[in-house]
Amino acid sequence: MKKFLTAFVLGGFIALNLGMCFSYAGEIDLLLQKLVDKGVLTAGEAQQIGTETKEQVKSEIAKGKYSSLPEWVQNIKMKGDFRVRYQLDHAKADASAATNNTQDRNRGRVRLRLGWDTKVNDKIVVGAGIATGTTDVTSYDAARSNNQSFGNAFAKKPLVLDYAYAKYTPVPWASLMAGKMKYLPWRPTDVMIDNDITPEGGVLQLTKKFGKANLFLDNMVFVLSETEPATHNAMAYALQGGADYALTDTLSVKGAVSYYDFSNVKGRALDGSQGTNTKMLGTGNTVAGNTGTTGFNMYSFRDITPAVEFGIKNPFKAIANATSLGMLDIEKLSFFGECYQNLAAPDKNTGFAAGFGLGNEKVDDWGKWQFQYVYSMLEKDSILDTLPDSDRYTGKTGIRGHKGSFQFGLGKNTWLQFAVFRFENINMSLPTTRRAPTTVVQADWNMKF
Amino acid sequence: MKVLSRVLTLALVTLGLTIPCYAEKIVVEGSTTVLPIAQKAAEVFMNNNSGADISVRGGGSGVGIASLIDGTCDIGNSSRSIKDSELDKAVTNGRSPKANVIAMDGICVIVHPANSIGALTKKQIKDIYTGTISNWKQLGGPDEKIVVISRDSSSGTFEAFGALALDGSKVRSDALLQASNQAVASTVSRTPGAIGYVGLGYVSSSVKAVDVDAVKATKETVLSNKYPIGRPLFMYTNGEPKGLAKQFIDFILSSEGQKLVEEEGFVGLK
Repeated sequence: MKKFLTAFVLGGFIALNLGMCFSYAGEIDLLLQKLVDKGVLTAGEAQQIGTETKEQVKSEIAKGKYSSLPEWVQNIKMKGDFRVRYQLDHAKADASAATNNTQDRNRGRVRLRLGWDTKVNDKIVVGAGIATGTTDVTSYDAARSNNQSFGNAFAKKPLVLDYAYAKYTPVPWASLMAGKMKYLPWRPTDVMIDNDITPEGGVLQLTKKFGKANLFLDNMVFVLSETEPATHNAMAYALQGGADYALTDTLSVKGAVSYYDFSNVKGRALDGSQGTNTKMLGTGNTVAGNTGTTGFNMYSFRDITPAVEFGIKNPFKAIANATSLGMLDIEKLSFFGECYQNLAAPDKNTGFAAGFGLGNEKVDDWGKWQFQYVYSMLEKDSILDTLPDSDRYTGKTGIRGHKGSFQFGLGKNTWLQFAVFRFENINMSLPTTRRAPTTVVQADWNMKF
Repeated sequence: MKVLSRVLTLALVTLGLTIPCYAEKIVVEGSTTVLPIAQKAAEVFMNNNSGADISVRGGGSGVGIASLIDGTCDIGNSSRSIKDSELDKAVTNGRSPKANVIAMDGICVIVHPANSIGALTKKQIKDIYTGTISNWKQLGGPDEKIVVISRDSSSGTFEAFGALALDGSKVRSDALLQASNQAVASTVSRTPGAIGYVGLGYVSSSVKAVDVDAVKATKETVLSNKYPIGRPLFMYTNGEPKGLAKQFIDFILSSEGQKLVEEEGFVGLK
């Protein structure tokens, strides 16, 4: 009690004189010395109280607690990024066309994202973000892209709510998130789920460290479409369990198995659909016909997706040392793969992605670089056609192709990226020349802050 | 109802998988100066509390504080105060380092027992370590080159010595750097022209501790701040210590724990 009171009084003394707190440090020592001389404190207690009080004040200053602003305002962290893109879309005419006319489209595009979060208290964080985008729910871009193309005679571009969520972390190994979230389950590629998607619902995340292994278990409930009565809502229930394991100082592996159950999507037309899942005209059990791009989903979607990524640090170090070629000492090489199977569809229900990455761990300064190659294939009913990466054949299923990308750091927080996508339609039983292949070339200038 | 039952089922499965994994364990990491106190205290504490699992590692004060900020340890041992840059990083990471002073240490300047020099001023020590003085003869000692021994830069003792004795000046580039207090003491004991610095707990008959500014390093002079190169020893926690970390720190601050501190050659607070 004696120590507590002394510390309390000293803390208040320092806080009151914070503007000149360092000049008062000597006076605190004198005060403590007086207390020692009078036998109120021992020399050791005086040392402990004095030092801990000074450290506490230093820490509080770092946290900005003595600012006149409310604590939640001081705790706000802001972040954002801006991208300017040139994009060339080179496409053969649709497979149904009589001839293979080519169609080229040149676009300038921008993407701006601004986000912030703040601590409500030690266990709850609230975050929100706005970004360029569209709220036209019939567009496949509404959920999957934040790009806005140049044009429309300089028309202003819309900013939309990208995400808004709360995260509750009662213990370090568990957290519960709810809202429209800046969250997606771990995947080594964005083939199955576009990275721009911000799902709506809740996630329970559990983590546990066992020696060199970090285990994680994510439990997701997302709303896809809301109608009356509530039992007819189209939902996604998902469970992902995985581990990140450091085999050695230079070798690591991360793997996960995910199960997605998309409920009440059969017989329903979802917003943002690219119309490439098998469709029927009616919503009942009787299949009235397949209209190709419109109608209602003929099948349910229950996907199981194992995924793995191997990382090797400095894979060519020995060669670089032997040849004295420092440029060969590349920071990281990774190999990854994942596959998808929709257990609810009878055929054309599988897909996979595989690839490798090479270069620096992060492209955060001049001269740092990364290269990545991914080959992927998605059969018609392998996954829901509202989810895949929109840069690959505009986010359709029933496709296969290649993606290669190269990033080069221009300086702190700014870099260039070049990406090429070459994809074709595999839904049609047509000769190779009629598979309507597309090539997309993107050149990006990225900045983050 | 269907939605509710699915959510509850998934939550129960998840919790069922997680609950058996929980065990009371803490990781204590950092300063090699604080290491012997932490090791001895952990040993005694675990003997008295069979359910407790305390893993103690060294690595240096910088490593301990970095681990605390990254969340990879529960207690970060440090023989120096946390730096402003570390505090900034902690705040950015949402961490809140709380200093818990567990003992005091005097950094003793040591020479070979055969050296006739028995006292130095702080200025002379600074001149030796920055290269202005390079022969014992310049200090009234034998005509012998001074072999400067220092700790490596990851050490909290290095940081504290640089701040307290050298006023932030850099140690001369030809100084021999050692990874531990014990290595410094051992090197000085084998090298007649050597000078080094170690924590009070590492002074033995194989080396000679010199007075600094005419003050001998003792418990009293360190606690009263009369000895000019004294410092507190910290166990940093994220916020107020809780659970096993609190019990462990409380034990070190108890009479029994402080007795262990003194047995290891440091200055207890009691």
